[in-house]
Amino acid sequence: MGRITILLIEPSFLIREGIKTLISQSGKPFNMEESETTIVNLSKLLQKTKPHIVMANPVLLTDISFPRETNDDLSQIQYVALIHGQIEPKVQGRFNFMLPLNADKPTLIKKIEEIYEACSIKNQEKESATLSERESTILKYVALGLTNNDIAERLFISSHTVMTHRKNITRKLGIKTISGLTVYAILNKLIKVEELQGTQ
Amino acid sequence: MLITGDMKMADVIHLNHHLLHMINRFGIQLGFGDRTVNEVCQHYDVHADFFLQLVNTFHDPSYFPLNELQNFPPGVLVDYLHKTHQFYLEVKIPEIEELIAQLETLSGIDIDHIKLLEDFFRQYKQELTSHINKEEQRVYPYVKALENALFTQNPDMSNCDNCREYSIQQYEDDHDDVESKLFDLKNIIIKYMPAPKDSRMFNIILHELFELEKDLNNHGHIEDLILVPMVERMEKEINQLRAGNTVM
Repeated sequence: MGRITILLIEPSFLIREGIKTLISQSGKPFNMEESETTIVNLSKLLQKTKPHIVMANPVLLTDISFPRETNDDLSQIQYVALIHGQIEPKVQGRFNFMLPLNADKPTLIKKIEEIYEACSIKNQEKESATLSERESTILKYVALGLTNNDIAERLFISSHTVMTHRKNITRKLGIKTISGLTVYAILNKLIKVEELQGTQ
Repeated sequence: MLITGDMKMADVIHLNHHLLHMINRFGIQLGFGDRTVNEVCQHYDVHADFFLQLVNTFHDPSYFPLNELQNFPPGVLVDYLHKTHQFYLEVKIPEIEELIAQLETLSGIDIDHIKLLEDFFRQYKQELTSHINKEEQRVYPYVKALENALFTQNPDMSNCDNCREYSIQQYEDDHDDVESKLFDLKNIIIKYMPAPKDSRMFNIILHELFELEKDLNNHGHIEDLILVPMVERMEKEINQLRAGNTVM
């Protein structure tokens, strides 16, 4: 399971800092994105940050219809309300989780773990760290210096498909550049150093 | 915690020793005694406010006093950025190169693997160098020429060879591939390189790479958020000056 991105929407600097500390102490692999307000640009903000979780002051999210129906990635978002006291049931219904700001630390940490579990289950099927056979083949060609078009021709697939495979390879391996992928391919004996002669 | 001029320089280092490189870049060396930041800056003839802003920017990434920093003379900023470049090319990169070369002497290590690392780092160095050279040869002289033109109120910049036809808009954001290479190098060592029995040398190299990355990020941050807006403002002023001259 990769990192989970949290988008935090809360006007109070102190509360934002507190949430960030809590999140980092939970020890889970979270990325934080922050915003002070912004109801107006919510969908833009979501497009830009692509969060798995939105933690927000419910006041900032009352009057908008959540973009649940929009595209598939964003419809998976878990909404967490940062609540100070009582909250209207109508508002409550919009959120998947409630985080009471006056709770004690163990309760808060437990809540964060619950939220994390909910996300991990949903995203699990997308994540697998090993390369498929197709991906290994493509990685080998990339390492040998072939362009996306060359690879597409050899494998009788569209160059768009090659791009998708390459994105997946980069995400799985955590290596972005062609020369980095080449080193990986040699270390894992997908290609030999001698094969590289004249390609670079 | 905000670093202020009346703090002792020694306490600043205790607070965050990562600042040492940055402090050295201003020509300031250890042996501060009980002198405050202001006193040390004065002793080394360093613009104390500018020093404090940069140190705080580095110390706390959420601290970013855009307006204050932008009011400093562009020349001072460019000098700092230039020194940072020198530090990368003349100190840090050769140090890491040397460390990677030392890996060959470890027992139980596959020389071919080390050659791969060396080769990869050489490519990284080339890209970083060409990126830096571009800034040194195109951007910085342009900034200084702009500053001079505004100071003398003479918008003619034809004596600056590299400045004609240049505008900061061309300042591309091509840090990208250089950044990715460094990211890859870290992951190759952390995840994929078969480690020797004693991985201390690998740890040291990784530590250096993380430090370099942090420093480069801060450098890029300053360029994007301070240098570019500063130059855009100067370009506007120059254009106004030119417009004024033609009307007269």
